[in-house]
Amino acid sequence: MATVDDRRPLLQVKQLEVVYHRVATAIQGVSLEVPEGHIVAIVGTNGAGKTTTLRAISGFLPAEDVVITDGSIHYEGEPVHGQLPHELARRGIVLVPERNKVFETLTVEENLAFSVLGRGGARALLQQVYDYFPALSSRRRQVAGYLSGGEKQMLAIGMALLCRPRLLLLDEPSLGLAPVIIEGLMETLQRINRELALTILLVEQNAVAALGISHYGYVMEGGRAVYEGTAEKLLAHQDIQEFYLGRTGKDLRSYREVKQYRRKRRWWG
Amino acid sequence: MEFVATFVVLASTYALLAAGIVILYRASRVLNFAHGELAIIGGYVFLSMTGFAGGSLPLAFAGALAVSLVTGIAIYVVVMKRLTGQPFYVAILVTIGIGILLKSLIIIVWRARATSIPIGSGTVLTFASGARMSQLDLATVLVAIAFYFGLYLFYRFSRLGIQARGTAENPLLASQRGVNVHFVLALSWAIAVLGASVAGILYGGRALLSPQGVVVGFSGLTAALVGGLDSLLGALLGSLIVALAEYLTIQYLDPILGEAVPFIILLLAMLLRPWGLFGTREEIERV
Amino acid sequence: MGSPYLKTSYSDVNAILPRTYQKVLVTAALLLLLVAPFFASNFHVHLMNLGALATIGALALNLLTGFCGQISLGHAGFLAVGAFTTAILVVHLAAPFWSVVPVAGLAGALLGLLVGLPSLRFRGLYLAISTLAMHYAVGYAVKSYQANIGASATAGVSIPDPVLGPLVLSNDRVWYYFLLLMTGLVTLFCLNLLRTRLGRAWIAIRDRDIAAEALGIHIARYKLLAFVVSSTLTAMAGSLTAYYSNVVSADEFTLELAVTYLAMIIVGGMGSVLGSIFGAYFITLLPFAVDALFDMLPVAWRQGVQLVGFQSGAVGVFIILFLLLEPKGLAELWWRVEIYFERWPFKYRPLEPARR
Repeated sequence: MATVDDRRPLLQVKQLEVVYHRVATAIQGVSLEVPEGHIVAIVGTNGAGKTTTLRAISGFLPAEDVVITDGSIHYEGEPVHGQLPHELARRGIVLVPERNKVFETLTVEENLAFSVLGRGGARALLQQVYDYFPALSSRRRQVAGYLSGGEKQMLAIGMALLCRPRLLLLDEPSLGLAPVIIEGLMETLQRINRELALTILLVEQNAVAALGISHYGYVMEGGRAVYEGTAEKLLAHQDIQEFYLGRTGKDLRSYREVKQYRRKRRWWG
Repeated sequence: MEFVATFVVLASTYALLAAGIVILYRASRVLNFAHGELAIIGGYVFLSMTGFAGGSLPLAFAGALAVSLVTGIAIYVVVMKRLTGQPFYVAILVTIGIGILLKSLIIIVWRARATSIPIGSGTVLTFASGARMSQLDLATVLVAIAFYFGLYLFYRFSRLGIQARGTAENPLLASQRGVNVHFVLALSWAIAVLGASVAGILYGGRALLSPQGVVVGFSGLTAALVGGLDSLLGALLGSLIVALAEYLTIQYLDPILGEAVPFIILLLAMLLRPWGLFGTREEIERV
Repeated sequence: MGSPYLKTSYSDVNAILPRTYQKVLVTAALLLLLVAPFFASNFHVHLMNLGALATIGALALNLLTGFCGQISLGHAGFLAVGAFTTAILVVHLAAPFWSVVPVAGLAGALLGLLVGLPSLRFRGLYLAISTLAMHYAVGYAVKSYQANIGASATAGVSIPDPVLGPLVLSNDRVWYYFLLLMTGLVTLFCLNLLRTRLGRAWIAIRDRDIAAEALGIHIARYKLLAFVVSSTLTAMAGSLTAYYSNVVSADEFTLELAVTYLAMIIVGGMGSVLGSIFGAYFITLLPFAVDALFDMLPVAWRQGVQLVGFQSGAVGVFIILFLLLEPKGLAELWWRVEIYFERWPFKYRPLEPARR
């Protein structure tokens, strides 16, 4: 199994299995590694288990009736599976969720003030967030519920940054955003990764955008990780091209030619 | 002027109770039916504390407040925390159960003796306009104002207050941003019970403490509902409305009807404006 | 008969007692109940009567709250209506027993219709509060009536023993058989009601009322029906209680009483007929059990201790304990025992986490 780097990875997930409500297995046998300082992407369609994987890494609340029934998650070499979200956040694993990602009844300022974890240098960090996301700066007093989708996403990432993460998890950041905004967002994520040396694990349905900025990627389907490789390898793979990027060998595509239900995806080679 | 003084004092007591109810409802969507019992027990605890503190009222007061904080935290940790994930009515029924338990405690420990708290209601102050108010009454009003002002500052400007508001809206996100949700909820319970205890102590100075006194909790509940269950400002206004209605009814209509006033107001509120004056409309589960 | 899990006809699916052991147990229980008065003391028979009366009220409340999901704090109001209708009819019109109880039920139905109207507008918390407001409205009405006719607050209105044909229901043991019959009929009524479309509609409303409406269930009609059926039965229970205790007093119908009935269905099991019966007897007998426990303590300890505090405290403790540990109540505990024996020697173990 090839990792991009030989150093011990920041995050190591082995054979993870998560069960909801004691009856529904959401993911099974999922293994992945995130080396420090890299951007790793998980791509896949709806229901593939990507969100569950991120939620498992960042922690479940007891009321949610979800259990990690098998496998392990190691962060900085220590096992962290089964801990509560706030404990993991304090250790540096911060998730930006797909939905309900900001506090809608609080202002932008209050949202950002929410998560600053006590240590010194908070003001400098806050200013840095405003530098990355200038749109937020001009809307400090605005109630977050009235922000646009892109602004909410920026606010959400800003809040996450103020938790001083070592590992930033992003769940479908481009969902519902205009392509132009997505471009800007991805660029900013790359900047953050470079300037703050922040490790990023990114889940996306938009494989092009995600693989465009990632070093490495995993493909998930039906609750399992079915393929992995460097971003270039993934983008070049025929099945990814066909199923996620919409390109077949032919120029013209009609639905009759898709025949997805008949074609078995070949995830080897 | 005198009439204004009287009903404002009554409103202050209700306001202290309503504040706790609003805090708890906002934090956890739980309507605390045990608030009246918590208030009365607070009064009794203070009474006992005066015994322990050798008659020193400030010390007894501090002791009673400490007990109330611990009680609030205990209620959360022992009972409410374990109910996460259950439908809403379970929490309400549990608070009813807690209320029953507290009332029994009053009967068992304090023999359900109707008693009054000996705090300085003697000194009467006279205002310029000729109105007269006892020291205790003035204290009640000032404490209520101070409590609300304190809450306002806390929730609006302090980091913990902002975190409490965020946690109330979205506990999962709060947890993902490093906030210990249990801590915030326990804190909410502590503050709420503190408010109730203070209300009970001040009430006991003016009226008799007894197991029957727990009905004062319903006036507080009505005040909170009329104002809107998730609005502190609403609680303040609701208290004024309920107190005014009660006062007017007792003075000019039928004194016995005075007991029923909170419930009449409740009925009217449900018919006309169930989400209260300042409550958010999405709170109502419309059919 | 066949397998317990394979039903081959509608009568199998709808059977009240599908399994043989259940038929055996129920028959045995009935036989026991029939002969019990010959071996029990007067006091015990009286306790059984109290339990039976409570069972009717608990079944009614469970229909409304447990099966249809409408939280109601107004139960005491319905009992009061039944009791006071009885008082009015008996005192002013000297009406006979067989006519009073149904009329009391009718009065309950009317009140139920009124109290049920808010349920068309609210669910959940605000519905509970509306029923609370109604409770106090009814309370005020009956208190005024009692004051009006000059009956003292504590003594209340007295009701003579009912006459049923040649039978005068004065003796506790005679009452015992009468109440056994009544409770049995009400239980059967509830079980049957729940097997019909009405019962299924109620359960659908409880679980997901919006989905129920989308499926064509007229939720307004069924919700009102729930209130009406529940209040009718409750009012009749109130009426029977009035006849049994020979007195009606407005002081009895407090919020505590409504909460006591809620405790019965919580402890017994919401949404379970068997649970209503268990819960009713449990909560009714609880104060007496506490009393008995008290008597076992040495006299020195008992000095000056308020028993009533412990009795009400016990109810509060059990409410909390059951809600925390076994929210589905005694019926669920009974179900677990049944399942254990049914599946023996196989054990079902739910999924356990690898690490926690």
